[in-house]
Amino acid sequence: MLKEYMTEVKRHFFNSADSLEITTDIENRIAEMFTDILARENRQAIIDQDVQAVTAQMGSVKDFEYAEDEGTATFAQEPAYNMGTNTRRLFRDPDDHLIGGVCAGIANYFDVKPVWVRLLFAMAFLGAGAGFFVYVLLWIIVPKAISRADKMAMKGEPLDLQGFKRNFEAELNMVGGRLADIHHEARPLIYKTRDFVGDFFHHLRVFLSGAGKIIIKLLGLAIILACVAGIIALIVTLVGTMAFGTNNFSLPDNFFNYPYINQVRVAVGILVLIPLTVIIVVISSAIFNTTGINRSAGFTLLIIWISALAMVAYHASQALAEFRDSAGFTQTINLKATPNQTYYLELNDVMFLTPQDSARLDIKNKFKDLILTDKDEDDFTPRSVRINIEKSDVPYPVLVEEFTARGRTYEQALNHARNTRYILTQQDSVLKFDTKLRRLQAGQWHNEEVKLTLRIPLKATVMVNDKVNEYISNYLDVGACFPRHRDHSRTEMAPFIMTTEGLQCKLDSAVTAVPNEDNNKDNNTNETATTVDTVSTMTKVDTVYIDSTITKAAPAKKTVIIRRLHKK
Amino acid sequence: MIVENTQTQMRKGILEYCILCVIAKGEIYASDIIAELKKAQLLVVEGTLYPLLTRLKNNGLLSYNWVESTSGPPRKYYMLSADGRQVLEQLDKTWQELAFAVQTSIEGRK
Repeated sequence: MLKEYMTEVKRHFFNSADSLEITTDIENRIAEMFTDILARENRQAIIDQDVQAVTAQMGSVKDFEYAEDEGTATFAQEPAYNMGTNTRRLFRDPDDHLIGGVCAGIANYFDVKPVWVRLLFAMAFLGAGAGFFVYVLLWIIVPKAISRADKMAMKGEPLDLQGFKRNFEAELNMVGGRLADIHHEARPLIYKTRDFVGDFFHHLRVFLSGAGKIIIKLLGLAIILACVAGIIALIVTLVGTMAFGTNNFSLPDNFFNYPYINQVRVAVGILVLIPLTVIIVVISSAIFNTTGINRSAGFTLLIIWISALAMVAYHASQALAEFRDSAGFTQTINLKATPNQTYYLELNDVMFLTPQDSARLDIKNKFKDLILTDKDEDDFTPRSVRINIEKSDVPYPVLVEEFTARGRTYEQALNHARNTRYILTQQDSVLKFDTKLRRLQAGQWHNEEVKLTLRIPLKATVMVNDKVNEYISNYLDVGACFPRHRDHSRTEMAPFIMTTEGLQCKLDSAVTAVPNEDNNKDNNTNETATTVDTVSTMTKVDTVYIDSTITKAAPAKKTVIIRRLHKK
Repeated sequence: MIVENTQTQMRKGILEYCILCVIAKGEIYASDIIAELKKAQLLVVEGTLYPLLTRLKNNGLLSYNWVESTSGPPRKYYMLSADGRQVLEQLDKTWQELAFAVQTSIEGRK
């Protein structure tokens, strides 16, 4: 009872900036009076009658309102007389609110149904969010209707409808409301902000328990749908990769060559599937009140998930361990010197096939006299070839090949490096560079790389086009090396000459004859394999690690499949 | 109706003045102020006094001391400030004038 009384008192003085001080005074006084009573009547407990007596002495809130306007009576009283009935004031409506009561307040002010105002605000909110700012602004500015008088002023209700006696008491009440407004308006912004924050969280709670519930449910439903879609996509991917292998998917070769790839796939599937399922079950149990996961099932799922995680981690570390050590070796190949000391550098776009592949495709019969060209775009074989062009000390060109690879141990790394080969084909003055490093046996890539150093004799001419230039590590300015800087195609060749400082554009040093393009073309279209002189890196290496038949088969295979499918 | 209204107006008009007068007698506790006012038949309930006191204090007319109480929490003892005293003097004068005015008005009657 006392609590009720104090709440009422506090609410009454809430509008006042001194509310704390006043209510504290009153509380102290009440405590004192109780102590007096106890001391006087020699009792230990306060009874209801005491409380009634004390509150009666203190006076009710109505009495406070009566007293409160005494100080301002002189000016407040006057309008109170002709303050008729239907004058409305803009308040926030605390009784009929969805969020902050702003809409309801506006509706009250204009005497329309709140739903229309809310609709208007909702539309304004959708339109660039302007409604939101207006709403928050109004929330802060417009005072909340706290007292009964506020609410009456808000609704413009005639005073006698409210059960007030139609006399000065009611009018004073009205004045009290006005006075409260004066307090409101005089209140500094900081108080308003404080009220706003308090209000905000209060209303947020109410909102979440009402309209918010629906929004949250919709959100949960969306999450569930997303999870289901994720699960379906995952299953399709896993089944797809298992059924069709690697060919249909643009994933790195290495990934699918891993020996335990299927176990890893399953583990990854479990790793993703379990959380998605749990999310679905938990959310649906929260929204639709279905039964969630029981303890033992959840525990089992957790254990499965953790083991899947451990498995993935193990295989990941195993895969990484394959790259622990590095090894490499170098070999030098002497190329034939041409009489005019001119070398055309080209890229070899002939597809390389392993013996297994060529057997599978039945190259000998099906593709007889055809050349399989290499498609660069969708091939994930590492681009591991770099060409460096230097000056040669001997009167013929020399190719130095430096192979490197990584492996679990040095021995394995060396093994991996040995498992590769690089093919440079010399057709008279044309040097055809493979764009890729070849492997003799299928398996995972271990960062196999080859660094080529082409040593060109002094004063020899090197013809380079843009395509080859991409692979040359000491990049040449091909574009600037055409007469009059004309436009050129990517396959057109520019002449460079070897000087003591390296390659230089031949146009800069001396005007020379146009390079022998006809000869070049002839060579390209020449089908005769007899002129092809394949220089294999493997020929000099002992073949401890490599099946000798492969070493022999590969160059032979080249002669079978060399032929152009199309020319650019 | 009108009668009550006017009565209230009159009472209210002088309440503040009376409070200041009571406090001007010396440091005084709120409930004692109430007692005085009740004796003068001006005020009925205590609760109405506190907002008034706070407002007067905020206007700088009053100040107060905390005094330890033998029973219960410490009490606020109010007294007039210098400003309060000035205001009271002005109000005194005004009251004299009012009293004169009323007296004069009444005398003409009967």
